[in-house]
Amino acid sequence: MSATFVAHPSTVPVQERRPPEAPSALSVIGTELFGSWPRIIGTAIFAVPIAYLVWWVLDWTFLESVWRADDVEQCKVAVGACWSVIAARFRIILFGLYPYDDQWRSALASLVIVVVAFLSCLPACWTARRVIVCWVAGFAAYLLLMYGGVFGLAKVTTDRWGGLSLTLFVFSAQTVIGMPLAILLMIGRRSHIFVIAKLSAGLIDLLRAIPLLAILFTAAVVAPLALPEMLQGDKLTRVVIGYALFFAAYQAEIIRGGMQGVSEGQAEAARVLGLGKWQSLFYISLPQAFHKALPATVSQFAIAFKETSIITIVGFFDILASGQAAYGAGEWYPYFKEVYIFIGMIYFITVFSLSRYGAYLERRTKNARI
Amino acid sequence: MRHGSGLFGLITAGLLALAAGSCSTAASAAGGDTLKAIKARGELLCPGHNGSYPPFAEVDDKGNWKGQDIDFCRALTVAIFGSDKNLKIVPLSWAQRFPSLQSGDVDVIIKGTGLTMSRNTELGLSFSTPYFVSPTSIMVRKSLNIIDAKGLDGGTLCVPAGTSTEALAANFFKGHNINVKLVTFEKSEEVSAAFFAGRCDSLVDAAPVLAVAARSSSHPNDYTILPDVITLEPLAAAVRRGDDDWLNLINWMFSSMRLAEDYGITSKNVDEAKAKPTDATIAKLLGATPGIGARVGLSDDWVYNVIKQVGNIGEVYDHNLGDGSPYKIPRGINREWKDGGVFFPWILD
Repeated sequence: MSATFVAHPSTVPVQERRPPEAPSALSVIGTELFGSWPRIIGTAIFAVPIAYLVWWVLDWTFLESVWRADDVEQCKVAVGACWSVIAARFRIILFGLYPYDDQWRSALASLVIVVVAFLSCLPACWTARRVIVCWVAGFAAYLLLMYGGVFGLAKVTTDRWGGLSLTLFVFSAQTVIGMPLAILLMIGRRSHIFVIAKLSAGLIDLLRAIPLLAILFTAAVVAPLALPEMLQGDKLTRVVIGYALFFAAYQAEIIRGGMQGVSEGQAEAARVLGLGKWQSLFYISLPQAFHKALPATVSQFAIAFKETSIITIVGFFDILASGQAAYGAGEWYPYFKEVYIFIGMIYFITVFSLSRYGAYLERRTKNARI
Repeated sequence: MRHGSGLFGLITAGLLALAAGSCSTAASAAGGDTLKAIKARGELLCPGHNGSYPPFAEVDDKGNWKGQDIDFCRALTVAIFGSDKNLKIVPLSWAQRFPSLQSGDVDVIIKGTGLTMSRNTELGLSFSTPYFVSPTSIMVRKSLNIIDAKGLDGGTLCVPAGTSTEALAANFFKGHNINVKLVTFEKSEEVSAAFFAGRCDSLVDAAPVLAVAARSSSHPNDYTILPDVITLEPLAAAVRRGDDDWLNLINWMFSSMRLAEDYGITSKNVDEAKAKPTDATIAKLLGATPGIGARVGLSDDWVYNVIKQVGNIGEVYDHNLGDGSPYKIPRGINREWKDGGVFFPWILD
């Protein structure tokens, strides 16, 4: 048998050993859309209506539209969008019924929340103390600006808060209060102490069995009937606590799911290394559980943001109700589409940023994988 | 205006049963002495809407409430305090309104609320006399050149499926021997969208709702509401049961605003009318001679203040629903008796 000689890899010149170059995105798209006759025909069939649709949207949105705030008369004859309704009424959408002359406070307060949220998303901020300081300061500033009553700011009660400003507050407060609560509930449910385990499990299952709507209604309407006056507190406070409990119940189960994916060996190894029970939980198990639960957590945040709009059922002017109030008056009534598109964009930007941030976190934790 | 159906209705009913069962501090403290509590608080608490409900409650460019129901809340505040600065509007959803009244979140409900037997007898509420009648009417395209429902013979009508409106409309056409085909849809948005897209000749709903729907279409002036009335829904103010004095005050506020209209007293000429009253009733109404205040626990000039700052009931209509508003809804049945409507004031003696 004659031996077949194959060149040893190390003897092949370097440039010949490179993998074939990946085709550029453009050429891939080109092949996929125009690679053969059937593909070309298919592309043409779909491209024409899509092009028409895009043209129609552009035409309606920009070319034939009216932009100026005082142009109601123009809107009546224009075929395109009437963005005047946004120009004239955007302050209702952003700030709801907040007193007109004090709306700068509402704007500033929203900005504080956005900045704090952004800061706490940065890895530099990821120590318990920094996150706590950030959010306590952020909420203190928000409440001070919104509620007033000190430093010469007029007092504005919570029933006048509204718009995007209220939506941001309800969302951030429920997640910031709800997240630690979720971790507590999760630890409780995994506890070896029978009473604590059953109580946590019972609370989680109870909260998940009740619709959010009913929880909000209970917090806003039933609580004052059942509680003595001194314990009632503010309606918005009760509603935000209701939201936070609801969020915590779902998030607790998401983290518990993550914990179940972390192998027992991790905690055992930690114990061998001399870490205590809590150290092992917070430094070894929980970070891995969060990594595993990240996609579900991001979804839960997106859901929480969108569900803030249910608050309208207990009479608060969240951004959606404010939008309805913005077009629902006199001459603006025909232009509800424009208002909903505007609000839709705000929702989209927020939730899309959330999911992009989630993707970034996944990439990051993947590289730092244990 | 038929709200509180479905899930929300169920929740409301459940909560009210709960409210009636538990002897709550807020509700019982307020019972019997609502006016005293309002004066002590320095504020009247009145419901707004969670969004807008034109032309009854809507928000202007600066975020202030306006609308017919809001104006009656203003009138009540002016009657009590002499100024509408003491009015606090609490935004409420439909489902919330009755529980919120019971829990003391509001002092009165003036919020597009129909007077029905179940609400009156089962929810622990007392109703004022109606302040507005909402006729269920038919809207058609002007181009059809129809002047009343008979002209719809052989035509079609868009209605929401399985609602009381559907049954009422069917009965109405059957009773009048008019042959109209009902085209039904599941959701009310679909119904009006179908009408405006030309799927049927006519659309049925409460007249103010129709007028507002027409305004939201692309050609607001192409539609007209026929004079035929399919059914009437009286809107009234609701209060917690057991405070007759408070209910009396609200009734006399509505009545005094009507009396002023019948006498031709408006916000413009009220000063003149008070300075030189042409008869004893006007003198008493406007507080030129004493008597009208003490009977309801207010000062003698309370009606004068209401007319001066808010207007008589005709002015309130015109400003919010009629020619002074973008909706231009003909007043029709809501006119005073002397002008062909169903309303009249009580006797001031």
